[in-house]
Amino acid sequence: MSLEHITKADQPATDDEAMLVRVQREDFSIDEELRRVRRRSKRIGGIAMFLGTARDRSKGKDVDGITFEHYEGMAQKKLREIRERALKDFDVIEVLVLHRYGEIGIGDNIVLIIAGAEHRAEAFRACQWAIDELKQITPIWKLEHTPEGEVWVEEHP
Amino acid sequence: MIQLFGMTKMLAGNQGTLSLALPDGKRVKDLVSVIDAAYPKIGELLQKKKVLVSVNQEIAHEDLEVKDGDEIALLPPFAGGNR
Repeated sequence: MSLEHITKADQPATDDEAMLVRVQREDFSIDEELRRVRRRSKRIGGIAMFLGTARDRSKGKDVDGITFEHYEGMAQKKLREIRERALKDFDVIEVLVLHRYGEIGIGDNIVLIIAGAEHRAEAFRACQWAIDELKQITPIWKLEHTPEGEVWVEEHP
Repeated sequence: MIQLFGMTKMLAGNQGTLSLALPDGKRVKDLVSVIDAAYPKIGELLQKKKVLVSVNQEIAHEDLEVKDGDEIALLPPFAGGNR
């Protein structure tokens, strides 16, 4: 195997592909992310999107803000697995998965899933599956800031 | 070294990591016993499987052997959320 092949295998296939799965502190632009999915293929005819935002209320308590903590490395790995499984198990053309970490203000963006398919039914299915799966398997934790103090969600299992 | 996240950091006295000596050839369940002895509150959550052990970024079975250099972390319940 040539050195060139080894180098390529260690890197994502394209920069664009690496951008389709991200865990980042900064906010994202929905328009920009939609463009990123659309330009992957002209065969896309239906796009479903899920955007999760920060609520000001949780289990009957006021929430002033949220801090997300993630397991660097494993979080990215699990999001990559979700994208790969969605591409394999559903009739979709492209899937984008983003999650923010750090301090998030009320009303701000937290998580974005975009699924592009030839037709809407599979786009909706893949999008719903991806967000449900993300919540099950991704090592990301939520600290809610309330007037009474800070609470890790699921702190009292 | 064991990485801690979320509430397990608080239960360990606001530490981000635990340094516990574990002899070679031990399994995840032995690690759980060592943690239980030092940090009973975390130990209880591990026994109840409310906190999971990951080895090399995968959730580990209790019989998995832990090797020198493995990346180990304690994972409290994920943010999840209601559907």
